[in-house]
Amino acid sequence: MRKRYSLAYNLVIFILAQIVWLALLGLWIYWYVSNYLIYEQVGEKVSPQIVIDTPNVFPFVGGIVLLVGLSFSMVLIFRHLNVQIRLTRLYDNFIANITHELKSPLSSIQLYLETLSTRNVPAEKQKEFIDQMIRDTARLQKLISTILEISAIESNKNKANFEVYDSCEILNRLLKESADQFRLNENTISFRCLGSAKISIDVNAFKMVLDNLIDNSIKYTTDKLKIDVSVKTFLNKVEIYFTDYGIGIPVKEQKNIFQKFYRIYDEDIPNVKGTGLGLYWVKEIIRNHKGKISVRSEGKGKGTTFIIELPITNK
Amino acid sequence: MSDENILNAKILLVEDEESLATGLEYNLSEEGYRIDWAKDGKQAIEMFNKSDYDLIILDIMLPYQNGFEVAAKVREKDPQIPILMLTARTTVDDKVKGLEIGADDYITKPFHLQELLLRIKGMLKRKKWYIKSIKQNPVYKIGNCEINFDNLKFRKGKSEFNLTHFEAILLKYLIENKGRVISRKELLENVWNMNPEVETRTVDIFISRLRKYFEDDPANPVYIKSIRSSGYIFEAD
Repeated sequence: MRKRYSLAYNLVIFILAQIVWLALLGLWIYWYVSNYLIYEQVGEKVSPQIVIDTPNVFPFVGGIVLLVGLSFSMVLIFRHLNVQIRLTRLYDNFIANITHELKSPLSSIQLYLETLSTRNVPAEKQKEFIDQMIRDTARLQKLISTILEISAIESNKNKANFEVYDSCEILNRLLKESADQFRLNENTISFRCLGSAKISIDVNAFKMVLDNLIDNSIKYTTDKLKIDVSVKTFLNKVEIYFTDYGIGIPVKEQKNIFQKFYRIYDEDIPNVKGTGLGLYWVKEIIRNHKGKISVRSEGKGKGTTFIIELPITNK
Repeated sequence: MSDENILNAKILLVEDEESLATGLEYNLSEEGYRIDWAKDGKQAIEMFNKSDYDLIILDIMLPYQNGFEVAAKVREKDPQIPILMLTARTTVDDKVKGLEIGADDYITKPFHLQELLLRIKGMLKRKKWYIKSIKQNPVYKIGNCEINFDNLKFRKGKSEFNLTHFEAILLKYLIENKGRVISRKELLENVWNMNPEVETRTVDIFISRLRKYFEDDPANPVYIKSIRSSGYIFEAD
């Protein structure tokens, strides 16, 4: 049923409504003018000495204002409806994606458990399967935390634990931790400190920002993974440049990628995993830090740079 | 294809989830099948073009080209190869789309290992039965339609197109049981090897497709008639 309410369907309704409205407006003007003319003619015939003053324009203008008001409300309703349709579509995509993300590790765990219970699996293989199941449960755990954290961040229920750090020092530390966690080679992430200052951050939340950005770089790099991170200060801000050399982001998509549930669908994209929540979450965390995040990419195949701006703290 | 050959069958596994693919590869190899694993849609098509397979296990959400696109490309080249879709997507629309594009069977994640193995075995057995049953007389006529069960060409008047593997198997089953009422349950069990409790709609989708092909008025079928609360009956001249 939802397909009936597509954008084209709404557009047709909107155009029809506008035609009806214009017809009504035309009818109103016609009715008013013809009535006025009759009134004038009859008045002249019956009693020519009656001098008709300038016509009373109030009902005429009032009618037009009313009709314009109606049209304006129609535009508002139409706009609202379209936003709603777009959100519903994004939400449907999110449900499909989250189902995929939840069911995939679950299927894998079920498969390994059934394999272990029905087959005589050699000890070496058993160890491999158990490790795989642990990785799958970690993936499920991460996904569930993401959903819960986002819900908390949106309702401002998360307790941020802000502390003051030296920007270069803390970023270098967090990047090393993430590199270990993602099992990246030592040279995969290069870090440059071009200027440092004190920033107030919630370390756990900020680690999630970096984890998400690294995870995206891994997912969307087809060749050898390489990430450059540099930190500098500019006026009263610390700027963090996070650059990868992956598939990049088409210019027209760049404004959308921080939206909740938004995912880019393109047949050149090497990975379909994801919920459309990662970058939304990153943006929300940065916003909680009173900072800003933006993206630069010259287009497909040209890598991506995320720029995070955080205020320098004087504490 | 003897039973031994069924167990030696070569399967193309198309799955982007490494952990699931590793587990499936292990289990299918243990069953005696030979497995090739493709990690995305592009690789799947490349591998399919390079080698001969007896069956394809196909995920839907795949990088580069999704499972529907892969199934369509495979069907262009080989209308007979059984395709089993293995996916996390559970909506009826997805199932219908998969079956319409040419998948023969559909199993949703998470699945039971034994059920998956049974379905694979069933699909390979049906392929064997089908090849054997069409050997002697591959061409069949219904009204003004002609079906070649060998190359799956369907001709009605001047128009000609390909049947999918499962459409052909279903039609073959109906023809072999001409004049007898066949329940949806029987069709699901014998043609799809599926649990009839869950998937009766699948039969209706396929029957309505067959009707569209060779009935002059699919709403008032002459050949494949519905028998209320029983199933279907195939009646030919």
